[in-house]
Amino acid sequence: MSKTNNIIFTKIVIIALILCINQFFSNISYAVEPDEILKNQEYELRARKISKNIRCMVCQNQSIDESNSPLAKDLRILIRNKIKEGSNDKEIYIFLTDRYGDFILLKPPLNLSTIGLWFFPFIFLMVGIYILFYHNKKSR
Amino acid sequence: MMKKKILILPPIFFFLILSILFYLLIIERNPSEVPSNLLNKNVPIFEAQSLFKNEKFISSQEIKNEIILVNFFATWCKPCRDEHVYIKRFSNEKGIKVIGINYKDNSKKTTKWLKKLGNPYSDVLIDKNGKIAIDWGVYGIPETFIVNSSGIIKYRHVGPITDKIYKKINLLINENE
Repeated sequence: MSKTNNIIFTKIVIIALILCINQFFSNISYAVEPDEILKNQEYELRARKISKNIRCMVCQNQSIDESNSPLAKDLRILIRNKIKEGSNDKEIYIFLTDRYGDFILLKPPLNLSTIGLWFFPFIFLMVGIYILFYHNKKSR
Repeated sequence: MMKKKILILPPIFFFLILSILFYLLIIERNPSEVPSNLLNKNVPIFEAQSLFKNEKFISSQEIKNEIILVNFFATWCKPCRDEHVYIKRFSNEKGIKVIGINYKDNSKKTTKWLKKLGNPYSDVLIDKNGKIAIDWGVYGIPETFIVNSSGIIKYRHVGPITDKIYKKINLLINENE
């Protein structure tokens, strides 16, 4: 490899590395605005923890903690108000699922309608391992 | 022989799941539309300020004894303007009571907007901060709900009412009468 090629290759690697680092940190960005943050740190941490588990119904693939949509902001404020009023985490989750269903939870609960979602990957994995094992045994 | 039978099962199982997925792809549905969690439940209890009447609207007193359409709208929402013609048809041609919930809007603009396009609503309620919308599980206006005479939510449509949806809502109203 010539010296020029070496330099070009190094530059490409550096750019790719910068892009990867940028992508990694951009995923942990959040949308909470300064005026939303609660003075009580314990309350704020609870609100952030709950917000990370709540799906933004508008963007659907983000939590309300990361989303800039107006509804996500309304829900973040609502959660903080509920915490200030003395609601516990369970009560807040129930309040939200009563209105938006289990879909608002980023981690779906294990119930009759989501049982396939939780267990199919495991069943497929087991079937795959069995077929591989059987095929391997047969070919020997 | 037994082992052969067992080996046939996974492909059949896989094909079955693939067929279900394929079926979900070809049927007419909007995957981003989330079914309402309030279906077949009582309308949320709320109070709101009416835009034109000088009194408070109390849901438990007003939403009962007849089929009602509840429509979330705003003047800044283009699809709301598009569906307005259908809302007027429900009110004027079918004589159905339609309650409008004005979502995060400017009251002066709403008054002007309704004066220009016509007011099909029996009452327009102000939802300044979107709290009523959250109680109804609304996530994108316009949204329209059918409430039966017992105050139970029977249907929710997300997005503007089109000709097809207008016919569908009419059918559902007839079924619930």
